[in-house]
Amino acid sequence: MEDRVFSSVHSTVFKESESLEGKCDKIQGYDFNQGVNYPKLMRSMLTTGFQASNLGEAIDVVNQMLDWRLADETIVSEDCSAEEKDPSYRESVKCKIFLGFTSNLVSSGVRDTIRYLVQHHMVDVIVTTTGGVEEDLIKCLAPTFKGDFSLPGAYLRSKGLNRIGNLLVPNDNYCKFEDWIIPIFDEMLKEQKEENVLWTPSKLLARLGKEINNESSYLYWAYKMNIPVFCPGLTDGSLGDMLYFHSFRTSGLIIDVVQDIRAMNGEAVHATPRKTGMIILGGGLPKHHICNANMMRNGADYAVFINTGQEFDGSDSGARPDEAVSWGKIRGSAKTVKVYCDATIAFPLLVAETFATKRDQTCESKT
Amino acid sequence: MSDEEHHFESSESGASKTYPQQAGNIRKGGHIVIKNRPCKVVEVSTSKTGKHGHAKCHFVAIDIFTAKKLEDIVPSSHNCDVPHVNRVDYQLIDITEDGFVSLLTDSGGTKDDLKLPTDDALTAQMRSGFDEGKDVVVSVMSSMGEEQICAVKEVGGGK
Repeated sequence: MEDRVFSSVHSTVFKESESLEGKCDKIQGYDFNQGVNYPKLMRSMLTTGFQASNLGEAIDVVNQMLDWRLADETIVSEDCSAEEKDPSYRESVKCKIFLGFTSNLVSSGVRDTIRYLVQHHMVDVIVTTTGGVEEDLIKCLAPTFKGDFSLPGAYLRSKGLNRIGNLLVPNDNYCKFEDWIIPIFDEMLKEQKEENVLWTPSKLLARLGKEINNESSYLYWAYKMNIPVFCPGLTDGSLGDMLYFHSFRTSGLIIDVVQDIRAMNGEAVHATPRKTGMIILGGGLPKHHICNANMMRNGADYAVFINTGQEFDGSDSGARPDEAVSWGKIRGSAKTVKVYCDATIAFPLLVAETFATKRDQTCESKT
Repeated sequence: MSDEEHHFESSESGASKTYPQQAGNIRKGGHIVIKNRPCKVVEVSTSKTGKHGHAKCHFVAIDIFTAKKLEDIVPSSHNCDVPHVNRVDYQLIDITEDGFVSLLTDSGGTKDDLKLPTDDALTAQMRSGFDEGKDVVVSVMSSMGEEQICAVKEVGGGK
């Protein structure tokens, strides 16, 4: 009798499980007995679990973005042009990559990772917030410093220091920015009046990239590489303050956002036959703007989100890629990953295992 | 100076109509030039140095001739133009058919180039005082090459 109870309890607690062997990857972390080997350490992330695995998958997806060629797709429709059927043409057609990021990341050292990508034309379109632009320009005029999250606000205000997380930007930096940018606005206004130039945020940013003329700035490289930088919320930052003050001194500068939305959505719509990929750091405007543009072409083919947002409040910032699929912003067939991680950790590591590694390989094979 | 033969009343050639003053020193009630108009400051607020750059003074002012509200924002360390504003009193001699006034100057001559003020109340006061034969004195405000009657008072009884 006891035996029967025991075996029934036993079979409840120790329910026979379905075997996952061969279906799922085994969890295996990095073994430091192999020594400190960073590439191997990075590759071990995929099987380490939790966000390490998500980062590992994100690395995979980005590598797929970089490896894809039109030649990988079978020629579907008969009404493809002869050029589109040409194999060497198909080998040359790559994925179009949209990169979006918030301004705090440009205040951080991730700015230098972004600059690397732009410098080597590894991304095709950039979307960011106003801070994402001015922090890059200001760093060319004066540096940002490391502080601490716990520095008291009132004390910092009395010292003229602005806190961004655990970074500090002195007021003086913004004064230098003002002194630098106002004459450029004067020039631009002159060109608007005399040469009928109609400025848009992206044209303004290309001009600022040209004027800053500093190799540490990603905006400079975007200008040189002809990579458009879209910033539809251009007035929401120090740059917007400068436009505001400039309008009192010498009014009349017009900045057209309509032209830019044509251009941005055009980047997605006219991307075909290229596939499109989105790499978005943070949430807010850059995340939505890129996803929305891709909706115009029935969804992106690849998406990597790196942010710390949560979906429980229904915010777009915290929304997972699957929510974007419901909107048609990402295709149902797309390869997507969301890495729940501060991009200052995840992004440099991701670039190391994708863009940078491939570039090193290409450079090596050339030499 | 070479302009000796000009009348004393006409504008002093060579002397500027404005003088510079640091924006941070201009107070409420003072004067300031905005978009080339002489204005009286009704509000000043200063924003400290910050993300918007240098400390700035925000002026709200009223054009002293047209009463239009104008505003300007200037870095507090920059110089602004402050208009010279003069007030001279003249005795009213005549009001012409076409709305001009004839005023008695200090030197005994007449000044006939001023129109009646746009302010109806002032004009009415001038006309009634003049018609009753009272001595009417008008204050003429002048600044930056423009003049206007800004006040009227009656002095003494009728004849």
